[in-house]
Order: sequence, then structure tokens, then C-alpha cells
Amino acid sequence: MNNTDFSIDYIKKPLSTKVLTIGVILTFVGIALMALAYYTDYVRASFNMILLFSFIASISLCSIFLIALEYIVGAVWSVPFRRITEFLASLVFILPILALPILLDLHTPFHWTHHEAIQEDQILADKTPFLNESFFIIRFVLIFILMSSFYMIFTTRSRKQDTTQDQKLTTQNIRFSAIFMIIFALSITILALDWLMSLEPHWYSTIFGVYYFSGSLLAALAVVTFVSVTLNEAGYLPKGITGDHYYSLGALMFAFSNFWAYIAFSQFMLIWYANLPEETIWFIQRGEGSWLYVSIGLIFARFIIPYALLVSQPSKKNPRRLKFVSIWILGAHLYDLYWLIFPNYSKGNAIFGWIELGVIILAVGLIIVVFNLAAKNKNLIPIGDPKLKRAMDFRL
Amino acid sequence: MDKKLYCISAIFDKVDDITRAAKELTESEFKFFDIHTPYPVHGLSNKMKLKPSTLGYIALVLGLSGAALALLFMYYTKTLNYPQNIGGKPTFALPAFIPIAFEVTVLLASVGTVLAMLFIYFKFPNNSHPLQDTDFMKQVSLDKYGAIIEAKDPKFDESKVKEFFEKLGATKITPIYYDPEELGFKAKIFAPKFMLLLSIVAILTVGISYFLLNKWKQIPPRNWMWEQPRVNVQSKSTFFDDGFGMRTPVAGTVARGHQPYLFMGMNDSAALNLVNPVLLNEYNLRKGKEHYNTFCSPCHGYFGEGDSRLNNQFPNPPSLHSDKLRKWTDGQLYHVITNGQNIMPSYAPQLEPIERWQIVNYIRALQRALNAREEDFNE
Amino acid sequence: MAIDYTQEAPVVEGKYSFKEISEIISKPMEVFPDKKYFIALGISLAMFGIGIFCWILTFVYGVGKWGSNVPVGWGFDITNFVFWIGIGHAGTLISAILFLFRQRWRTGIARFAEAMTIFAVINAAVFPLFHVGRPWLGYWLFPYPNNYELWVNFTSPLIWDVFAVSTYFIVSLVFWYIGLIPDFASLRDRTKNKIKKVIYSIFSLGWRFSHRHWHNYEMIYLILAGFATPLVLSVHTIVSFDFAVSVIPGWHTTIFPPYFVAGAVFSGFAMVQNVLIFIRKIFNMEHIITIDTLEKMNKIIIVTGSMVGYAYGMEFFIAWYSGNPPELFAFLNRAFGDYSWAYWIMVSCNVIFPQLFWIKKIRRHIVFMFIIGVLVNVGMWFERFVIVVTSLSRDFLPSSWDYFTPTLVDLGILLGSFGLFFTLIILFTKTLPVVSIAEVKAVLDYAQPSHHEEVKNG
Repeated sequence: MNNTDFSIDYIKKPLSTKVLTIGVILTFVGIALMALAYYTDYVRASFNMILLFSFIASISLCSIFLIALEYIVGAVWSVPFRRITEFLASLVFILPILALPILLDLHTPFHWTHHEAIQEDQILADKTPFLNESFFIIRFVLIFILMSSFYMIFTTRSRKQDTTQDQKLTTQNIRFSAIFMIIFALSITILALDWLMSLEPHWYSTIFGVYYFSGSLLAALAVVTFVSVTLNEAGYLPKGITGDHYYSLGALMFAFSNFWAYIAFSQFMLIWYANLPEETIWFIQRGEGSWLYVSIGLIFARFIIPYALLVSQPSKKNPRRLKFVSIWILGAHLYDLYWLIFPNYSKGNAIFGWIELGVIILAVGLIIVVFNLAAKNKNLIPIGDPKLKRAMDFRL
Repeated sequence: MDKKLYCISAIFDKVDDITRAAKELTESEFKFFDIHTPYPVHGLSNKMKLKPSTLGYIALVLGLSGAALALLFMYYTKTLNYPQNIGGKPTFALPAFIPIAFEVTVLLASVGTVLAMLFIYFKFPNNSHPLQDTDFMKQVSLDKYGAIIEAKDPKFDESKVKEFFEKLGATKITPIYYDPEELGFKAKIFAPKFMLLLSIVAILTVGISYFLLNKWKQIPPRNWMWEQPRVNVQSKSTFFDDGFGMRTPVAGTVARGHQPYLFMGMNDSAALNLVNPVLLNEYNLRKGKEHYNTFCSPCHGYFGEGDSRLNNQFPNPPSLHSDKLRKWTDGQLYHVITNGQNIMPSYAPQLEPIERWQIVNYIRALQRALNAREEDFNE
Repeated sequence: MAIDYTQEAPVVEGKYSFKEISEIISKPMEVFPDKKYFIALGISLAMFGIGIFCWILTFVYGVGKWGSNVPVGWGFDITNFVFWIGIGHAGTLISAILFLFRQRWRTGIARFAEAMTIFAVINAAVFPLFHVGRPWLGYWLFPYPNNYELWVNFTSPLIWDVFAVSTYFIVSLVFWYIGLIPDFASLRDRTKNKIKKVIYSIFSLGWRFSHRHWHNYEMIYLILAGFATPLVLSVHTIVSFDFAVSVIPGWHTTIFPPYFVAGAVFSGFAMVQNVLIFIRKIFNMEHIITIDTLEKMNKIIIVTGSMVGYAYGMEFFIAWYSGNPPELFAFLNRAFGDYSWAYWIMVSCNVIFPQLFWIKKIRRHIVFMFIIGVLVNVGMWFERFVIVVTSLSRDFLPSSWDYFTPTLVDLGILLGSFGLFFTLIILFTKTLPVVSIAEVKAVLDYAQPSHHEEVKNG
């Protein structure tokens, strides 16, 4: 094995501090707004906290998934972006902080924690073996430990490879990623059921975990795409990343937009057609008052517009288009989560105010800050990865 | 041999050679040239500066029209032409129409684009192209790369082209000729053989359509169920010991809708207090008249006077207009119809209780007609 | 045993010239078939004959010849229909989805898998045709202006099926044919036989390997792959809608669409893998259809198998979580009721045995992978059987609960469908190139211009 094979001309450049400053400011503004929200409208603030948590969880967990996916399918083109994905995956460590305000008071957002409700409601009483506060917390802690340890497993090996260029590390990571896939599938399903589906404890849908996963993966892809394209344009990544790499990112976003639409349509279609009261109630809530427009808007935000923006071949290679679409998709994911969560808080009509805006500000700020902290003084591409050379030569 | 030159062809051995040749050709003065490779070579399109394929737009247009067509068709059939309530869904049930709209979109877009490519873009089938069946084509389809410059190129000059190809490193350069007559072949539509073929096709089509539409379509559903073991009405059966197909009901069986009459065989005064449940209205009177005319009039006469068409063949029934009968309650009249009196048999088997009450009403009307009261004339 | 990640694994093993590739692939069509071929053809034709006999019985006497009866109105016929449609899905997955993901290892197996798609769909389409009772009136399923002034019910999933399956068949056929055109042209230029030449010429449409054509051809391949990908998802999704839009416990769960698609790919890959094991051996194509390719297929089998396992688990969990007693009963009845034997065959074959593919040795061992492939197909057949029969046999009216028993005609038809499938495959191997000649040539390691050359030129 010849080490010169790996060599590509990469010069490490420190990230711009300006972005970090903006991130820090946004984070503090966001925290201040959230604190104020908790002070003024406690219930609404806790629903917003769930929104923030599920959004950050989407990005962090699915970033780890993208790392594992690259290893397990042996993808080549994505290697230059893997380090960026790893930095984003480190968002997993702030999940407990975001979850803490809710875990301390599950009673406010979650109806199934109300003892008086359980006593009157046999169906809720039957669910208590799964839906109870201690098991909920145990599940979250378990998922957090598993996901963060997998994050450590992947990233320590990946970083070690920067210096050693040891191919065995890749083989080990491939093995771990196979195990990860199974645990990840269960984790994200449980997360979706716990934090989103159980907000309406009577309602159930077997596809819900897949629904959350499809949207989350899109969000993670969107962040990775946005950061990669931006950094590459600013010259932080080595030369050789071309439209063909962009095309692959764009194609994945396009494919998963379709996948999301497929899953969402399947869920809606089956419930709408069979028309069982205990199931349709969920969609009826989302068809009442101004929620109807939010629901129709979701179809456009999440599927039709990204579809139209990405359908042609040149558009997937166009960095400006990609940046716009990835921001759009990220926003659409937040929109989707809002659509999942808020009909339980505000029945009848959609609401949007400064608290929700605060969540958006805080989310953006957190992503920037954590990315910058994680990327500090590190190589922005995995320079020791044996596939890197091939990845830079990648052509469709 | 009246053959014309079609082109000069050159064979290249290496893929890098053909890429270079493609680039040089594109940059040269020649316009009518082509590259032939046994498989698609990456990057050649860029080298030849080919415009991106426009097939995508055709697919887009066809796909959108497919979706629109399918939705409009379903809207027409299910909302305008024959609206039906299916599962309580609206007649234009959009979510339920999406699967078919999607399938039609895919069908039209993919098949239409393929047909457009083959028959409009490529002008296929084209088996009489000058390049067909040449050594050049045989090499190109196997393992060599070829380039041609057509004779119709304005800058075409045999020696110049050959020199050009040699410079590029071609291993073999050959001119390719074609027979203009063969290419210009026009089918004669009215040739007898073709007409014969046409008529055979016509006869076959008519025959098959006749068979399909008149015989095939008319096959009735298989009625094997007719032959299953079962009992026909009033017929013998070997299944039961007594040989009867029909069974007598179990003792105490009550027929559907049967109301037992409590005063059977008693005197008419027993039913004195029975209340007439039938309303006195036009409908019930008309029904009462029908039943009276059918069952009562043969003996009692159409107007209850006992002067019927069977007069003197039986002991004449008394008039229904007697004082005694006028003073009877409805219950007593009903009792006589139900139970019978003297030689009058019971009419319970023929008439439902409600029908007997309707007759009672009609008899009352007949009685009133002959003994009208003051107020009846005030109408 | 260490893998060198710096190098791309070659798709075709060993050094072959373009000429040798053409020869290997077209050899089966150029030599007269031997005795073994006719024995294999004879066996599958005999199976097919039994099937034909049973179809004729059904045609003449009606569907009463089957075991389907109240309350199990969907018996073997729908089970087989779903099974065969599922088998077809692997072909489109390999030819379209893996193409979009630029998986080059698909080239060796794509043609064959597509052919299997077409044969499987033919097989599948027969079942609903007979299931409707009067197959000679099968055209009533299509909307056409008629003297009854009626239209088909467009809101019925069974009509969606008609559209989905016919679209799927047509598009698969077109896709397959588009791939075959250059190969027909190659064969046309190879063959010495005059009649064959005429036939190949007709089907090649006069393809002349011009790059101006290749340019559009690659585009159409991309477009078709782009359309076939959602199409293949939609077909099994719509098949799953047949069940899931109803309110029958055990059928109405929202995970059915992706679960059915994963299951279809799962069984389809097992079938393709099984047949390819024979093909590569018989026609000496071990270097084109490599053991690496088979290993990758096995990996997809384990992935899709795990997805199916996830769906089983999710269904069970939500059946409990929903608090809906009929739903929970339906699932408990599946696992521990009259049909528990079928359920546990399904679980063990679909979820447990494929887990052996985690072990690399088994994944690359021909005999083991063959056995697991067969087990997967057995399991997937039983999955459809379990879904169709257990839910129906315990309907909402306990007095009509009954146990479904197939008749000999049912079994004969099942056998016959395998006969038809294998007959078509055996005929296909001798009439058309089982591997795409042009595509394999394009993935040989010296086939494409070197990258540095490209950089130099611009």
C-alpha cells in the first residue's frame, strides 16, 4: 500500500470567526427568548421545546446515520463531506440539555401523564406499561447513550485515520455501522413514538417512525449539503469537488423528498380511506380552521417545491440552487415538525408568534455554534481516508 | 455498379484515441461527422459539444398531460357521467384518484418518450442505412471505435479526410459506398401481393372481431349451481324417510306476522269491545271496498243488501242494513268475518286482520249511505 | 483478507477483451442446446402442463374448484398474485434504482433480473384474471365506453391494481427492450445465420452505435430509471392498498406500503440470486456474474429482510399500543392461533435465517446462500399466505370462522406458475443475451478514457 496514493493537496484553514460570532449571538438571543417564553407562556414554551428537541435530534441522529450509511454501502463520492457530517452529528451531545426542561415536567405537554385521565380512560390505562414517565426517561437516556457512543466509535476511528491512514479502521467502522443500523432504526422509531406520536396518546400509526425518519434524513442531508457547498465555495475544501459531487447530494435530497411524500401519502391515504374514528381524529385536527391551510402548505413546502427545484439534472449541480433548496428543506422540516406537534397545543387554529421564532433562532444558532466548536482546529475532510483519492476523482 | 460514396470511415483501437479524435473532429472544419462506439463512452458528449438531450422536456410534457388526462377522465366518469356514492367519499375523491393518475403519468411519459426517441429522434427503423452490414459496423459493434465523415459535408475531400484520420492515429481507413436505388426504394402500395395481404388481414380482423364480440362475449356465467343437490318445490325426496321433500312445521310453530285471535268459536258479543285499529280514511276505504267486492259481494251483494249474483242458490244472507247490524260494534262485525256465522265460513285464512278491519270500515260506509244523517248533506 | 479501499473493486473479474465478452455472452444463443437443457425444459414444461390443466378446470367449472370459501374469499390466488408481483420487483430495483445510485455491479445481473420481472408479472397477472370468476370478461376491468353505460370504480384499490400492474408490465418491457437494442445490433453483426440475422435486424431497428444516438440513449435510460423507480414502489404499494385500505384487523396498518415494497425486493432478490447461481455456472459466466455481486445481493437480502422484521415488530407493538381489541386479537391469532405454523415458518424464514448472512463466509458460500435464498422465498410466500388467510378466517362474525384448506387444483396452479416462470427463463437463456453486452463492455476497467487524459484535454 503506497501512502502517496492518498495524498491530496489540502491545506487546513481556520473557520471564519465571524460566523461563530453570529452563531453565538443567535444562540443567546434564542435562549433569552425561550427563557422569556417559559416565563410568560409556560405551556406553549414546553411545546416549543419539543419542537426544538425533535429538530435537533433529527439532524444529529440522521447525521450519524449518514456516516454509517457511507461506511456500509461503501459510498465513495461522499467521503469529502464525511467530516462535516461528523461535526453536525456532535449535536447529539446537546440533546440532553434540550430534553431536560421537558423531562423535568412531562406533565404539561403529555396527556398520558395525567393520573386523573388514566383513571377515566381504559385505553390510556392499558398503555401505561409503555407510556409512563420513568420508562420514557429511561428510553431517552438509553437512546442518548447508544447514539453518543456510536458517534464516539465512528469519529475516533475516523480522526485516528487522519494520522495513521490505517485501512483497518475503515473495516472496523463498517462492522460497527452494520450494528448501528439496527439500533438506529429502533432508536429513531422510539424517539418518534415518544416525543411526537404520544402527544396524542390515543392515536397510532405503524408508519410513524418511518415518517419521522424520512423527514429527519432530509433535514440532515440539507444541512450537510448547505455546509459543504458553502465551505467549498469559500475554498475550505480541496479542489476537485465538482458538480458531480453536488449532483449526488442533490439527487439524494430529491430522492428523499419523494420518499417523504410517499410515506406521508401512504399514511394519509390509508387513514382517510378506512375512515376509522380513532385514526382520522389526527387528520381532522389538522384539517380544522387554519390548520387546513398549514396542512395543504406542507404538501407544497415539503414535496412540490423541492421537487420542482431539483427535478432537472443541471439544477442538482448548481451550487446556488442547492444552497437555496437545502435551506428550504431545513425550513420545511421545521414546518413539518410544527405541523406534527402544534395541533395538540392549539386546537382549531394555527398559531405562530415570537416564541416559535425564538425556536428557529435558537436552532440555527445551536447548529452554527456546535458545528464551529466541533470543527475547531480539525481537518475539514478525512485526509487519511483510503477512499478519499477516489472520491476526489469521482465522476458520474 | 452505380454506387455512391457515403463517407470515409476510420477505425481506432484505443478509447483514448477516439476521445481525442472526437475532440479534433469537433474542432475541425467538418460538420457531418459521427463517432461510433460499442458502448457509451463517458465524456464523449462533452468532447463532441453535443447539446444536452431534450428528451427530458418531452417526458415532462407527456407526464403532465398524462396526469391531467387521467384526472379529467376520472372527474368526468365519476362526477359528471355516472356519479356514485362509494364509501361515503366525495364523487371527486382526489386521494383515491392519485394512484391511477400516477400510473397513467408514468405510462404515458415513459412509453411516449421512448417512442419519440426511436421514431422521431433516431428515425428508426433504419436497417437500410449505408453503414449497415459493412465491415466497419461489424468492428464497431464488437470491439473497435469508429469515426466517419460524410460525403455530403461541404468541406469533404477524400484525400484530405484520409489524411486527417491518419494524423489522428486511425488503424484502418475505408470509404463506404451505398446504392442509391436500394435506399430510394419505395413500396408500391397497389401491388397485387400487397392488396392480397391487406384483404387477408381485413378478413381475419372481421372474423376475429365477430367471434369475440358475438360468441366470446356472450358466454353465460357457468350455472353449475343448478345441478347441486337440493329439493325442488312439491317434489319427492329420498333424503327423508317419509319421501316428502317438504317438512311439516314443528308443533307450536307460529307463522311470521301471525296474530292469534282470542275469541275464535265464541259468540259475537265476545268481541263487543274490540277496537278498530284502522283509520277511517280514503285509502282504507278503497282497500276495504276492494276486499269487500272480492270476498263478501258474492253473497252479500255489492251494496250489502243480500241480493247477490248467487241469489237463491244458497240461503240468502240477511241484509247488512238491518237495525241490528247497524247497532253492532265494529268488533262484532269483525268477529263474524273472522269467525264466521251460521253457514258463513271464517274468512281468516283469506284475509289479513288489517284487511278485515278495512272491510268493516267499508260496511260502515255502506250502512251510512242508506241511512244518511243531516250533516252528510252539508258538503 | 484486508480489503484495499483505495482501489475500486472490478466489476468483471480477470482480463477480458471486448471480443471475449461478446463471445461468452452470445455463446448460449449460438450453440445448439444439449440434453441437460431439454431435461430442464421438460421438467418445467411438465410443471407448467399441470398448471394449465388446473387452469382449464378452473375455467370450465369456476373458482369453486379452489379452496376459497366463506369467510376466506382470498385464498391461494391472491397469495400467489402478491408473491409473483413481489418477485418482479427485484428486477426493476436492480435495473432502475441501482442504476440511479450508480452501482456498477448491477450490470452483470440487470438484464436477467429485468427478464425475471417480466416473466413474474405475466405469471402474476393470470391470478386476478381467474379470480374475477369469468376470465373471458377480463376486459371489463378497463374503463371503456360500453352499452351498460358504466365505468369502473376508480376509487377501488382493485382497479388501481389493474392500472399499476399493466403499467408496470409495459414499462418494464419497454425498459428491457431499450436495453436490448444495442445487443440485438451486436448479435446482428455477429451471426452467420440468415434467418437469425433478419430477426435481429428487425429488433435492432437499425441501431448503428452512433454516439449521437448513445447520447440520447443514456438520457432515456436515466429517464426510464427515474420513472421506473417510483413505479416499482407504487406497484407494491398499491398491492398493499388492496389490503390496507380495508378495515380488516391485521390488514389495516399504515406501515403496509413500505413493508410490502421491502418484502417484494427481499423475495425478488432471493429469486434472482437463486437463478443466477445456476446461470453463471451453466454458461461459464463466473467472472461476469461474480461472487462479489452475489455477496452484494445477499447484503440487500439481509437489509430488506431486517426491514420486513422491523415491520413485523412494529405491527405487533402498535396492535398492542392501539388499544384496539380486534387488532390485538388478529395479531395474537396469527402468532398463536390456527395458522401459527404458517406464521412461524414466515418469521423464521424471513427474519431469522437471513441473519446468517451477517457471517461473511456464508454470504459468499454458494450452497449456503442458495439454501437461504430458497428459504426466503418460502418465507415470503407464507407471509402473503398469513396476511391473506389468517385475517379473513377470523372475520367479524365468529359464527362464520373457518379454516382454509387448499384443494389439489390450488396446489396444481401454484406448481404450474413456477413451471411457467422457469419455462420462460429457460427459453430466455437460449434466445436472448442473459447479460447486457454493451453495459458489461462499458464497465471493463480499460473501457473508459482515463481521468488524467480528460483533465489534460480540457
